[in-house]
Amino acid sequence: MTVDSLREYLQRLEARDGLVRVEDPVSWNLEASALTMLANENDDRIPLFESVEGARLVGDPYRGSQRRPWDRIAVGMDVPPDTSRREFYDETIARLKDQRDPVTVSRSDAPCKDVVETGEDVNLLDYPWPYIHAGDGGRYSNLHTLVTPDLDSDWVDYSYHRAMVHDSETASVLLLAGEQTPNLYYYKYERRDEPMPVAIVVGAEPAVQYSSVMWIPTGRSEVEFAGGLKGGPVELVPCETNDLRVPASAELVIEGEIVPNVRRDEGPFGDYFGYMHGPRRSMPALQVTAITHRERPIIPFCVEGSGVGYTENSTSSMEIGCVGPDATLGLRAGGFDVDRCVPWQSTPRTVYVVSTDATAPGDLHELANFIFTTWGMLHVDFFVFVDGDVDPLDQRAVLEALALHADPDEDFHQFGVESMPKVPLNIYQTPSEKGDAQTGTSKAKTAKAYIDATRSDDDDAQAAATAGETADPDTRYWARTLLKEAGADPDRLTGFDPTGADT
Amino acid sequence: MTTFAEHVDGLRAADDLLAVDERVHWDTEAAVVASEALRNNCAALRFAETSGSVAYASGVYAGPDQISSRSHRPWRRIAAGLGMDRSVSYVDLLDALARWETTPLDRAMFVDPAAEEEAGDDLYALGLPSVDDEGRQSVTQGVMAVERDGETSWAPVRGTVHRGSLLRVTVPRPFLDWCDGERTASISLGVSAATLIAALQGWTQDTTAPAVPERAAGLADVPLARTDGRVVPAAAEVRIDGVARPTDDAVGGPSATWERATETATVAVDADRIRLREDPTVPFVPLGAPLADDVHLASLVEAATLYRRVNGYWGVSPVSWVQLPVESRLGLCLVSSEILYAGFDWQLANALFSFSDFFDKVLVLDEYARPTDLARALDDMWVKAHPGNDWVFSDPNAPAATAPVYRRDGETGSRLYISAIWDPRWDEDYIAPRVTFESSFPENVRESALDRWALLGEGDE
Repeated sequence: MTVDSLREYLQRLEARDGLVRVEDPVSWNLEASALTMLANENDDRIPLFESVEGARLVGDPYRGSQRRPWDRIAVGMDVPPDTSRREFYDETIARLKDQRDPVTVSRSDAPCKDVVETGEDVNLLDYPWPYIHAGDGGRYSNLHTLVTPDLDSDWVDYSYHRAMVHDSETASVLLLAGEQTPNLYYYKYERRDEPMPVAIVVGAEPAVQYSSVMWIPTGRSEVEFAGGLKGGPVELVPCETNDLRVPASAELVIEGEIVPNVRRDEGPFGDYFGYMHGPRRSMPALQVTAITHRERPIIPFCVEGSGVGYTENSTSSMEIGCVGPDATLGLRAGGFDVDRCVPWQSTPRTVYVVSTDATAPGDLHELANFIFTTWGMLHVDFFVFVDGDVDPLDQRAVLEALALHADPDEDFHQFGVESMPKVPLNIYQTPSEKGDAQTGTSKAKTAKAYIDATRSDDDDAQAAATAGETADPDTRYWARTLLKEAGADPDRLTGFDPTGADT
Repeated sequence: MTTFAEHVDGLRAADDLLAVDERVHWDTEAAVVASEALRNNCAALRFAETSGSVAYASGVYAGPDQISSRSHRPWRRIAAGLGMDRSVSYVDLLDALARWETTPLDRAMFVDPAAEEEAGDDLYALGLPSVDDEGRQSVTQGVMAVERDGETSWAPVRGTVHRGSLLRVTVPRPFLDWCDGERTASISLGVSAATLIAALQGWTQDTTAPAVPERAAGLADVPLARTDGRVVPAAAEVRIDGVARPTDDAVGGPSATWERATETATVAVDADRIRLREDPTVPFVPLGAPLADDVHLASLVEAATLYRRVNGYWGVSPVSWVQLPVESRLGLCLVSSEILYAGFDWQLANALFSFSDFFDKVLVLDEYARPTDLARALDDMWVKAHPGNDWVFSDPNAPAATAPVYRRDGETGSRLYISAIWDPRWDEDYIAPRVTFESSFPENVRESALDRWALLGEGDE
């Protein structure tokens, strides 16, 4: 049974005792995010704030648990809740291969058209966009899907870029060149002095939200991949003020256009790497033309920077649960023999771990070179390669491989200091190095590196070989069963896959 | 006072001990179960149904990894074993281990040995668990006591049973040199954390400090006993007495972590008497498994030594803490420090390289980093250090580190330190504030949020 809306997803969480309704009034001004950060850091239930002026808020609805960062993502895909991480990865990859065309429904059948506001009725400030961290430059919508068309083809791109609200009808959108939608804006629309029509879909059904964070290849339709993820077509409905179609079950849709050659301030913002990121910079301006929404819409948001290190917000969980399988599929499609590609759990976007048995001379360099030149890699500074029998989802195992098998003399490979592009969302460059360049890339270039943490022939095999470590899968499965019978917390045991593949 | 038996009882009381009631065989099975428990951050284990005369325990001084949960404190079982609160802070534990206090034996507590039941001289009858593929019964956690010229010392041992009365053990070579030939000796199994830590502090990592019983008594109230003129841990579960003589026959199987940074030698022990306490439990370590006890013990001992040395090195004490994460099997060192001046991070990293043989990678963190937040420290490694400028490699002239498994051929290589600190040359305005609950919300919002969240929790009860 598919999950067709954010509401249905939240109901499923509630049925699993994974949601807490906060009935008393809560302010969008730091209060909702403070409660959400507490929930995130305590691995507690997802808070749904029922009494907020203008709408409802839900804090980090896709945040995973500390031990199972993919578990709530799985709920949104109707994947069984006890699925092991390896099974979840495989299932997600299989679904991404089985894309489904969307269907169009009438406006009357689209819940997101319950209320339609155009012209003078449009007022962004009627909604409780949260002020998330003290020190943020403003109030944000930061867990949504940005829909925009290519100027020269039928391609419509779904992407994930935060927007800072300025007044009743304008916002600034973080468009960092090098990514798909920003490239469309900077190198097509703006160069031709044309406004870029957009729709910001707030509270889209889970599969749409997931696909919008993925690195779907240019020219391919995220909404078709979303159909694959949910196992059925996504229902779309036409916008009121442009030709775009948007997911009909969304909670709220902001229609508008990003105006050429107009910039508004954006940031600073407490960002995903756990620091308040600055400086305030100029970003493209969104002019809102319509707002449509459900009755009592639910606005999701992410407390970025919370739970850094432990996958404790929606962004970091979606990186693990969605971007990882997508990147794995992409590398395989590129002809590379990889087992898994996984974001480093505590640092989404900056470092990825790839497990592979293809470690012949030159293989890793070629793989790293391919990855660093694909789109979206402006965020990524490091790749760590581990052997195919090391679980890249197990950060403990990856750290061990890094410490024991990556020789500082031979296994750290930098791609040219100060020679590669970088988005300015980093904290290791000075504000002047990051600059306020129009396209949102750093003024100063950076280095990228890959680390070969695979075993070499010279490594001491005995160091990793003990009776416990080399036991056959059946014996290890028996051992885990014994531990469970002795009272071990089943959540702590890494599944009972009799092949041992989940260890 | 926390004896091994009391420690196991304490683990049980803290709901941190699982009772394995199904019979497990000493040959491999116990090690596989213990290894799986460690890998999955389970509680410590006690195997009641074994084929020998002793029960087994594993993971008694191990702990969960810090990466999977911010609430994990991998050192909690060692702290409990030292008689400290399980929730003791990492820095307080380091402080305790770094003091190197000793108690003269005339002020120590002497009692009758708890192991008073004669069990013959057949080592096989103990049924000690095997931890390698060779299927030899093994000693993986214990100390050897030897008396020389009226002074007793204890050293860590790791060994295997070769005949019913022959045990071959690896010891630190300086200890064997100190023994100066064939000696009567006792091997004690099932001893306190203080005993094991003192033995490591006394004889490993280039240290030669024979007054180990005094050091153990300085760490905690370790009850002592005398047998044949030797001072032994009185509360040991099993004591094997015999004659120890140097041998060139090496001990097979996986090494203990302390052997990685210590020159070792082999001793053959001809056992002539085995004594057990009532219902004895012998702890064992599935050597080579992630997060195993030997890694935890060596990690703390080495970190405390480094903490002591670097904080006395420049006339001031800038270092907040040092950690060799058990998750890295000691191949990585983390140090949190005030950066006294530009370039101090370089000095600090290289001092650590000079003082320890285990690692060739150091991560330098700012003084606000918390030892309980390993995942965040690693986050800083990736996001706060410039991938080009702050990953600093030495020329390839350094000796190979001992924890990593590459370069075993005696060749030199490079070292790496990663400087995840703010550049002291930067203007204050460049420094990005950390996103934390405290920094992200004003006090009134924090207080309100904490109150409301507590009420929401109560509503469920």
